[in-house]
Amino acid sequence: MSAAYRTRLRDVRPGTVLAVAALVAVSAVVLLPIAIIVFTAFKPVAEVNAYPPSLLPGTWTLDNVREVTSELPFARLVGNSFLFAGGVTAFALVFDSLAAYALARIDFAGRKVLLVAIIATLMIPFQATLIPLYQLVADLGWVNTYAGLIAPRAADAFGIFFLRQFFLSLPRDVDAAARIDGASEFRVFRSVVLPNAVPALLTLGLFTFVNNWNDLLWPLVFTTDSEMGTITSGLTLLTGPSGIVPHGVMMAGSLIAILPLVIAFLLIQRRFIENIATTGLK
Amino acid sequence: MHAPPTARRYRPPAPLGGRRRATGSPAGRNARAWAFLAPALIIIGLFVVWPMVSALRLSFMDASGFGREEFIGLENYLTVFTDPDVRDAVLNTLWYTVLFTPTAVIAALALALLLNSPRMPFRSFFRTALFVPFVVSFAVAAFAWSYLIDPQVGLLNHWLRGMGIQLGNVLEDPDLAMPAVVLVAVWKLFGFYFVIFLAGLQDIPASLYEAARMDGAGPWARLRSVTLPMLSNTMAFVLVFAMIAALQAFDQIYVMTGGGPYGHTQTLVMEIYESGFRKLDIGFASALSYVLLIATLLLSLVQFLFFGRKEKDLSS
Amino acid sequence: MTRKRILAGAVGAALAVAATGCSAGDDGGPVELTFWHGYTEADGDVLQGIVDDFNAAHDDVEIKTELKTWDSIDDTLLTALSAGEGPGIVAMPAERLPVYASRGAFAELDDFYAGAESNTADLNPGAVAMVEVEGAKYGVPTGFVPLAVYYNQALFDAAGVTAFPQTWDEWTATAKRLTVDEDGDGTPEQYGAVLPDHATVANGLWPSLFYANGGAVVDGDTAVIDSPENAATLEYWSRAIAGDRISPTGVDGIGADELFSGGKAAMTVGGPWMASIATENGIDYGIAALPAGPAAQAASAIGVSMAVTVDTSREEQEAAEEFFSFFLNEENSVAWSLGSGWPPLRTDIPADAVAENPVVASLTEIAGTGRPLLPGVVNSTDVLSAVDELTQQAVAGGDIDALLAAAQTEIQAALDE
Repeated sequence: MSAAYRTRLRDVRPGTVLAVAALVAVSAVVLLPIAIIVFTAFKPVAEVNAYPPSLLPGTWTLDNVREVTSELPFARLVGNSFLFAGGVTAFALVFDSLAAYALARIDFAGRKVLLVAIIATLMIPFQATLIPLYQLVADLGWVNTYAGLIAPRAADAFGIFFLRQFFLSLPRDVDAAARIDGASEFRVFRSVVLPNAVPALLTLGLFTFVNNWNDLLWPLVFTTDSEMGTITSGLTLLTGPSGIVPHGVMMAGSLIAILPLVIAFLLIQRRFIENIATTGLK
Repeated sequence: MHAPPTARRYRPPAPLGGRRRATGSPAGRNARAWAFLAPALIIIGLFVVWPMVSALRLSFMDASGFGREEFIGLENYLTVFTDPDVRDAVLNTLWYTVLFTPTAVIAALALALLLNSPRMPFRSFFRTALFVPFVVSFAVAAFAWSYLIDPQVGLLNHWLRGMGIQLGNVLEDPDLAMPAVVLVAVWKLFGFYFVIFLAGLQDIPASLYEAARMDGAGPWARLRSVTLPMLSNTMAFVLVFAMIAALQAFDQIYVMTGGGPYGHTQTLVMEIYESGFRKLDIGFASALSYVLLIATLLLSLVQFLFFGRKEKDLSS
Repeated sequence: MTRKRILAGAVGAALAVAATGCSAGDDGGPVELTFWHGYTEADGDVLQGIVDDFNAAHDDVEIKTELKTWDSIDDTLLTALSAGEGPGIVAMPAERLPVYASRGAFAELDDFYAGAESNTADLNPGAVAMVEVEGAKYGVPTGFVPLAVYYNQALFDAAGVTAFPQTWDEWTATAKRLTVDEDGDGTPEQYGAVLPDHATVANGLWPSLFYANGGAVVDGDTAVIDSPENAATLEYWSRAIAGDRISPTGVDGIGADELFSGGKAAMTVGGPWMASIATENGIDYGIAALPAGPAAQAASAIGVSMAVTVDTSREEQEAAEEFFSFFLNEENSVAWSLGSGWPPLRTDIPADAVAENPVVASLTEIAGTGRPLLPGVVNSTDVLSAVDELTQQAVAGGDIDALLAAAQTEIQAALDE
C-alpha cells in the first residue's frame, strides 16, 4: 500500500469506514452465488455432494465441463444466443429510439394515450400471448428461423419508455437551432439527438442484450429444432434420467451460459458506470 | 411541522428539457411523428397487440389452442372470481409483491445513495459487483441459490448452522419458501433498480444540496427535502417496474419450488402457466391473464398519480 | 368448474387430414415424420437404432427423431400443435396423455389395435389402460414398469440385514436398523429409506402405499381417497417417517434419488434408471418388489406412451402406425427392453428372453403387479397436486382426517370438470 494511499485512508471518516464495511458484506453475499457456480463447476462429483460442504474445490476437474460439452452443441447454442440477443438489440435500439424521439420531442395528437397504451403492453404476462404469437410466427413461415426468433422482439415497450424519459431530459435549444437552419426532423434526430444519447443507448443496449440472452420461455417454445435454441434454453436439455442433473454439471452449464455476459459486462463496466453517470444530464 | 426549507426557494430547472416548442403545422407534426413511430408500432402491433387481441378472444372460449373452440361467454371470468385456487394465487402474488417491492427498492436506493458519493472508496468496484447478478438469468440464479440453501449439502445452510441458525429445508417450509424465492428475485433484480437510481441521483443539481446545507439541513434532512422529492420520477419508474416484475413472478419459482410446498408459492403466472400448458385450458389462462393485466394497470396508475403529483408540485 | 370436454380426437384427425393432406408424400418423396421423445440416455440410442432399422426397411417413410426432455415436450407440444407445427409422433409420460387426447391432439387408434399385424394383442393390459380415454385408445405404450425398491447392498451388509423385508412392518423395522444418528442430534446422518412426500417418482409412491392397504385414489369417475384405509396408511407412514425418522421429510422424488446415489439413504423407491445412477455413483445395489401392505402387494407403475398427433396426413398416420407395429414386434420388444432397462411391454415375452440383463429380468418378474396411474383421468394435474398436498401435509403432522376430506373434494372437482 503506497504512502499516499495511507494518508488518504487517515482522512476517511468513521461513517465511511462503516459504509465500506457494509458494502463489503453486501458484495460478498451478492457475489456468493456467482462464486458457487464457478467453483462447483470444477468440483468432482464426490465433493459436490459432500458434507460438510466447502466453497473451493479440493481437487479441480474439467469433468463437468466435458460432460456439458458432450451433451450439448454448446458452440452452436452460444452462437445462436449471440445472434438472437445481438439481433434483437440492434433492431430494438433503432426502432425504440425512433419511436421514443417522436413521443418525447414531437408534439402530436394522441401522444399521451399512445404512451400509456405502449406501457400497458408490458402488463400482460408473456405466457398469455405465447400461443397466439407462436401461431402468427408460424403463419409467417418463420418457425425455427432466426427471423422468427428475433422479429417479435425488434421493438419493445420498455426501451421506448426508457429512451423517451432520456430524450425528454435533453435540452431543446440545439434542435430548435438546427430546425431554424432548415434541418429535417430525421436530421435533428440523427445528428443532434442521437449523438447525445450514446450513453442511454449503450445502457439500454446492455439491458436488452442481457434480457434476451437470458430469456428462457420464448427460445424454448419457439425452437422445436434443438439446433436453433439458445444456450439458456439449451440448459433445460441438460437432464439425467428422471430429471436429476448432477449439480456439478448444471453449474458447469450455467457457467458457460453466464460467462460471455459477465466477461462482456466486465469489459465495458467502466464505460457503463460512466455512462450511468451521464445518462441523467444536468 | 415546517415546510421543507429548500423546495420553494431553489427551483430546479423547469420541467426536464424545457418547454416543448411547436414547430410546423399540427398536421405536419402528426405525419412526422407517425413516420418515426411506424417501425416500432408495426412490430409491437403485430407481435404484441395482435396476440393480446387473440388472447382476449380466447378468454371467452373453451379452447386449448388447437382443435375445437367453443364460445362460452363469461364463464372463464366467472371461474376466475370463484375458483379457490385463483384466490390462493392472488394472495400469494400479493404477498410476493409486498415482500419483493420494498426490499428491492429500498436496498437499491440505499446502495445508490452510498455509492453516489464521489468520496466513497472502491466506488467503481462496488458498483460493478452489485450489478453483476443482473446479467445472470433467473434460471441460473435459481439453481445456484437452491444449491446454496440445500438442507443437506448447502454451503449457506452449513455456515448459518455454524452460527447457530437452523434454517432446515427452506424450499419445503411453507413459511420460508416464499421469502426464499423472493430473495432470489431481489438478488437478481436490485442491481437494475440500483443503476436507475444512480442515474436519477446524477440528475439532481449539486446547487440544491449546497443551498440546503447553507440552510443548516443535516444529511437526513437533505435526503428528505432534496433527494427524495427530486427522485420521485425515478421512484415512480422503479416502483412500477418492480411491481410489474413482482406481479409476473414465475421463472425462479418454476425452477425452485414449482409452486410448492403445497401451493405456498403458486403465483398468478404459475397458475396461468399451469392452466394453459398443463391442463391445456388456454381460454381460462387468457381470462386470468386479462384480470392480471387490468389489476396491474390500475396499480400502476395509482403509483404514477401519487409520485408524479409530487414532482409537479415541486417544480411548478 | 363444469365445462364440457370434447372428445374431438377423431374429428380433429379428420380435419387435420383435410388441412394438411397434401403436405407430404404427394411430391413422390418419402413420407416424413418427426418423432419427439425424451429418452436422453442409453435408451435413446437403442430407440434411435430401432428407428434407423425402420427407416432402412421402409423406402417410403423417413422418421426423424427430435430429442427433448420430458418437461420440455410438455412445454412445447401445445404451442407447436396450435400452429400446426407439431411432431407426427410424440412420446410423453403416460399420465399426461389423456388431457391431450381429450383436447383432440391425437389420432384415435382403435382400428389399429383391432388389426392382428399391430402386435398389440399381448401388450400388458395395465400399459394399455394408460392410453385409453373414454373407451378409445389414443396411443401405444413405450414403457410400463412398477415402482420397485432399490437398495444399497453395502449399507445392508454393514447393518447385517440379510433378507429383504416382505411386509410393511418388516420394511419399517429394517429401515430403522439402517438409520444412523451417531451424534444423536436428531438428524440422522444415514437414513434407512428415503420416502419423498411430494413430487415422487412418477407420482407413484403414495398411490402404491394406498393400494397395498386396500385403498385407492380414484375409482373411474369417483374420488375415493377419503377412506379409513387411506387414513390408516397415512398414519402408519407419517409415524415411520416423521416419528421414527426412517426417512427425511420434505424430500421430492429427485431429492430422493440424490440421497440414494449419495449413499445417504439405504433404500429408495424408483424406476429402472436407478440402476444406472447407482452404478455411476459406485453403489452396489439390489432391486426388490415393494413389500406387501396389510391388504396386498401392489405398486403404481411408471408409464410412457407415444401417440400420433393430428398434425399428420392420412399417409403419415399410416406410416406412424406401421412404425408402432414395428416397434412392438418381438425382436424390437426384446431389444428395446434390454437397451432401455425396462421390462418388455408384451406379456408373451418371458423373463428368460431378457435374462442377459439381470435388472430387466428381475423387473420383468414383477411387471404384472404394476397398476396404471390414474388411467383415463383427463385432469391428472389437479388430482396429483391434491395427492401431493395431502401427503406432504400429513407427513408434516397435519390432521389426517381433515386433509383427506379436503383432498376428496379437490379430486372430485378435478374429475367432474
